[in-house]
Amino acid sequence: MADSSGTTLMDLISSDPTSAPPPPSTSAQAPTASHQRAASPFSKPVTATTTTDRKSKRSTLMQIQSDAVSAARAAVRIPHKHKKKPVSYAQLARSIHELAASSDQKKSQRQLVHHVFPKLAVYNSVDPSLAPSLLMLGQQCEDRTILRYVYYYLARILPDTGAQGLTPGGGIPTPNWDALADIDAVGGVTRADVVPRILDRLSTEALNSDIEFHPRRLQALKALTYASTTPEILPKLYELVFGILDKVADTPDKRKKGIFGAKGGDKESIIRSNLQYASMSALRRLPLDPGNPIFLHRAVQGVSFADPVAVRHSLEIISELATKDPYAVAMALGKLAQTGGALQDVLHLHDVLARVALARLCHSINRAKSLDERADIKSHFSSLLYQLLLDPSDRVCFEAILCVLGKSDSADRTEERAIGWYRLTREVLKAPEAPSVKDKDTKASKTRRPQLLIKLVMRRLESSFRSFSRPVLHAAARVVQEMGKSRAAAFALGLHDNINEGEDVNTFAENNETEDGKAQAEGHRRIGSISMSNGAGNKDTVASLLASLMEVVRTTIACECVYVRAMVIKALIWMQSPQETFAELESMIASELSDPAWSAALLNDILLTLHARFKATPDMAVTLLEIARVFATKVPGKIDADVLQLLWKTCLVGAGPEGKHTALEAVTIVLDLPPPQPGSMSGLTSIDRVSAFDPKSALALQRLVQAAVWFLGENANYAASEYAWESRTPPGTALMMLDADKMVAAASSRNPTLANALTRLQRCAFIGSWEVRIIAAQALTTMAIRSGEPYRIQIYEFLHALAQGGVQSQFSDMHISNGEDQGASGTGLGSLLSPMLKVLDDMYNAQDDLIKEMRNHDNAKKEWSDEELKKLYETHERLLDLVSLFCYVPRSKYLPLGPTSAKLIEIYRNRHNITSSSVMRDSAAVATGISELIYEATKPSTAPVESDNNLDDDLVNAWATGLADDGLWGNNAPAMNRVNEFLAGAGTDAPDVDDENVISRPSMSYDDMWAKTLLETAEVDDDGRSSGSSSPDSVGSVETSISSHFGGMNYPSLFSSKPSSYGGSSQPTEKASTGRHTRPSAGSSSYEGYGSPISEEPPPYSSPVHQRFESFENPLTGQGSSSFDSHEEDRSSTGGNAQSGGSALYDFTAGGDDELSLTAGEEVEIEYEVDGWFYVKKKRPGRDGKMAGLVPVLYVSQS
Amino acid sequence: MDSHFPPLEMQSLLIIEVKVAQNKRKESWLLKKEAERGCCWLCWMLLAVLIANFEGNILVERFNGVPGEERLHWRSFLVKLGADNLKGVKNEELFVACHKSVYIVYTVLGHVSIYLVGKDEYDELALSEAIFVVTSAIKDVCGKPPTERLFLDKYGRICLCLDEIVWKGLLENMDKDRIKRLMRLKPPTEF
Repeated sequence: MADSSGTTLMDLISSDPTSAPPPPSTSAQAPTASHQRAASPFSKPVTATTTTDRKSKRSTLMQIQSDAVSAARAAVRIPHKHKKKPVSYAQLARSIHELAASSDQKKSQRQLVHHVFPKLAVYNSVDPSLAPSLLMLGQQCEDRTILRYVYYYLARILPDTGAQGLTPGGGIPTPNWDALADIDAVGGVTRADVVPRILDRLSTEALNSDIEFHPRRLQALKALTYASTTPEILPKLYELVFGILDKVADTPDKRKKGIFGAKGGDKESIIRSNLQYASMSALRRLPLDPGNPIFLHRAVQGVSFADPVAVRHSLEIISELATKDPYAVAMALGKLAQTGGALQDVLHLHDVLARVALARLCHSINRAKSLDERADIKSHFSSLLYQLLLDPSDRVCFEAILCVLGKSDSADRTEERAIGWYRLTREVLKAPEAPSVKDKDTKASKTRRPQLLIKLVMRRLESSFRSFSRPVLHAAARVVQEMGKSRAAAFALGLHDNINEGEDVNTFAENNETEDGKAQAEGHRRIGSISMSNGAGNKDTVASLLASLMEVVRTTIACECVYVRAMVIKALIWMQSPQETFAELESMIASELSDPAWSAALLNDILLTLHARFKATPDMAVTLLEIARVFATKVPGKIDADVLQLLWKTCLVGAGPEGKHTALEAVTIVLDLPPPQPGSMSGLTSIDRVSAFDPKSALALQRLVQAAVWFLGENANYAASEYAWESRTPPGTALMMLDADKMVAAASSRNPTLANALTRLQRCAFIGSWEVRIIAAQALTTMAIRSGEPYRIQIYEFLHALAQGGVQSQFSDMHISNGEDQGASGTGLGSLLSPMLKVLDDMYNAQDDLIKEMRNHDNAKKEWSDEELKKLYETHERLLDLVSLFCYVPRSKYLPLGPTSAKLIEIYRNRHNITSSSVMRDSAAVATGISELIYEATKPSTAPVESDNNLDDDLVNAWATGLADDGLWGNNAPAMNRVNEFLAGAGTDAPDVDDENVISRPSMSYDDMWAKTLLETAEVDDDGRSSGSSSPDSVGSVETSISSHFGGMNYPSLFSSKPSSYGGSSQPTEKASTGRHTRPSAGSSSYEGYGSPISEEPPPYSSPVHQRFESFENPLTGQGSSSFDSHEEDRSSTGGNAQSGGSALYDFTAGGDDELSLTAGEEVEIEYEVDGWFYVKKKRPGRDGKMAGLVPVLYVSQS
Repeated sequence: MDSHFPPLEMQSLLIIEVKVAQNKRKESWLLKKEAERGCCWLCWMLLAVLIANFEGNILVERFNGVPGEERLHWRSFLVKLGADNLKGVKNEELFVACHKSVYIVYTVLGHVSIYLVGKDEYDELALSEAIFVVTSAIKDVCGKPPTERLFLDKYGRICLCLDEIVWKGLLENMDKDRIKRLMRLKPPTEF
């Protein structure tokens, strides 16, 4: 077989076992064989794709054709015997036709049974042209096996394998029927022709009451159900099934359940029972008909049927109906549920699934609101349910536990869950009729003592955890998880409700031991009931029971199956309560995560479990964050950074005022980690050690650190409750007067959270990687803008040092060096920092001016004139606009001119009837801040924001809290979708096997869109830049990087967008007030007009980076360059070789090998343009000896 | 149906009346059903039965209610699961996995591995029951834990017994004798 090409299952089957050794034994051939199989349609290896599918389909078709030709010549025989070649579908089809004609002969029967039919089974569907022959066989043949196959194949023809692809069988795709029709002797038979004939035949057979025909009748009925996907046939099927049930169900069946398993009984009743079975099974396969009394009636009758499978099906039908209409079902069941009724008999039925269905039925009736008045009915069902807890089968027992706990398939309701927990801890199983004493621990049940459910359940679970079967362990852990959910729900309700009971299950234990006075009454009752069941007294508290259970659960973590472990961890997370110490859980998870066996999907599942846990108990935010941190450090490569960030955010918000500091610490601890050391496996169990051994996870960790830094910048103020507009520092306190050291000391003593965050960020800005430093600088700016003094001045000083560091030393030798500047500054952040510094500078300058003005006014004792106020107000607005570009601030409260300006601004506003909200004429970006852009990105940025009123005082808080309710993220963030999907319990979609792609989720996020909005409205203003700084800055690039950070994945686009950053210059609002705000200034520290030339120097140290630029296709490029056109129409922006002359407008220092330094005024020849860069040639070599190279377009004026 | 439904004794009277109106109702109901189709009006819960050899070739697969495009994923997921975990495992030792709310139980029998995928009612434990039925049925058909060759030789009969065990996505017969009888076109309970 190994030498045949393209081995398929058919090849395997048709290969002659005697001539060729069986495949597994030929180890040498195995690799080649499996390699060949890769192309076969059937063997679908991991890498199988649709292309191979198509290819194989084509080859199959070709094979059919060649078969047809050869078969036409050859005498018609079963090819199998003569050739070793695999049998094609066409050959099989042909043999069926022929053998059907001679089906009376033994030989052809044998052929059919042993060769033709088994091989036909390989194909995933059977084509209709076979149907006539099959029907003929069915009519003429007597052989049982042939007949059984005939029904099998007829059933496979029947389902409408339409768009839903519900083909019952898998296998080799059946060749195209049209192609077959040409070859086939019968030819041209379509489904539409055949199906009615098959249905007719099967229906008549199903109604044939001949005793000899009995078994065929059953099979016919079964085959018929496969047609139920076609709605036209359904009424017929119902009619048929109900018709049979009419005959067999109504006859009073006197036999007691006890004997149905025994052989014997009269023929008639057995036939009836068989028919009952067949019709009930058929009914189960037909769609439910909730409102139909007949349907319900028949299903209820089924409970008393003799056949166990029939009983199971009827119970399943009933339990499904009960979820829709519990009242009707309960009424219909009536006496059956009572003691001695048929439902009681089900308890002893051997069929496991029947009992599972019974548990579900009891549960849905128990929880029905419509049955609240009928306590008697409910009590019957609940006692049934409790008895199922004693069931020997784990499946049934666990189902019963889940039902008691209030789990439901659709939507979990907290109240039901809470009640479920209450029920489990309080209810007592009263002397069951015949307790199944499988549970060796429950000796008490022999004496028919009432038992506490909780004890039963705990013992059962504990013994299950001792099982060796992985499914049992998995299921038990799952049950514990559900228990944790119900417990959490009880906690949640107990907190804000009067019910002590919800939480006292736990506190009770302590009360019990410490003799605390609280919850005494409840405690006494419980002690009573427990001692009643145990006799031993008060040692068995719920807490102690739980503790011993959890001990067993924890040991299960040693299981080698990673899925079981995942479930155990989930269970532990759910059972973790806010009061308990979680150190054990944390270290357990930490050591678990070191195991490479964990798949990304599983880890993210656990991360999502943390989310769910947080939703249930917001108190646990800090705990959960600590655990999430373990994920971040241990397996950065495997987890979804978006989901993690979302978790951070929700937890931070949920942590409450006092927990915020800890929460932030938990996030930022990521930053304190030492960089991963490749190859070091020593710190396997240490939490604080980064495990990023491979480059991929190191990269992911990098990304995570960026996320953390960004997060810190964005949320530190929230966490510290320190805002410039709500500063704890009273206005006018001149903390700035202190020297730096004292200031820092004062600051950290006042607000340790913010001070800590600052320290971390400062550290990152120094020692992080390039990307981290960028983000850290941005984060610091955000904090500087948002915080009041002294934090602002502290950050300002730091940033200043950061920007200056190195530059000054370079100044001196810059002109004697070859001009090769290693970047803007020693830290490489200069280019990025100066716009930020400028804003801060501007704010301070304006504040100084204001103070000066105020002093003047005070001294001169004169009122502020309207003109002066207007000027002040304009400055205020302008600064607001500027500030809003960097981060979100509430415009109505934010005072860039310092707290002292509040009064004056107020005066001006009152005088001119400007409400703080109506002045917002600026862009969406400004008005709503970065985060809001998730929503606003689609709006044209020039459109005024309508919802001004929303931006009131507490917007930041509201915004932050909004996260908890998914408000902000609800629709957009992919992470949120995942979380929501997880919380909703969705997820039947296929797993993604490709582990390589876990982190490269495409996330086209708002940042790109935002960059676009900026670009579209951008206006380039090439103001004089006289400063000698060699680092022209781009606000646009700052913005892009701030925002693009959040997308996480598209970092490269930040750097590849050279042209876009030229365009991303200024806000349209700047045009009026500050657009031409030109003022030659000497120092780089002073602000030179916001719309200053926005040009970007390539990032320092970028020669390797720069090589990459060309390879990145930036989607924004087009947009970006088009925005220059306003003032650069003359230049050929289309690129190409349009040669023209030009002169350098400003000095430009080359940032890389392929760039060219320019001195202002220098004449150049422009060769071509590429992505916002000109390739220019100088007339004579520059200082560095270079003649030609790239320069930014804006640095050159085209002549 | 409204909430007042008479107890069992009175039902037979009512049924006669209802029958008349039934046909009319059914028609409108069917129209409604047709619209609901696609969401699971019939509970497909045993999502897949899959039997593969050790090289990852799939010998038998029965998908129920799994869209075509997802089958490929499932196939490769299961095969990978087997390749990762089933080396040198003893017969019929059960393995478990889950993906979101879908459970997978798989095992080795002779030279083939058997995978069952289910959800809701068919959780790990129910699937263990089901896989027990499947393995014992295959053992019955083959007479012993099958080699790949033996499995392929008995392919047709194995398909028939699977057909008796899983019927339209639901576990049907679990009793060995029953399955054997039904495969031979005999009634489930002999008279």
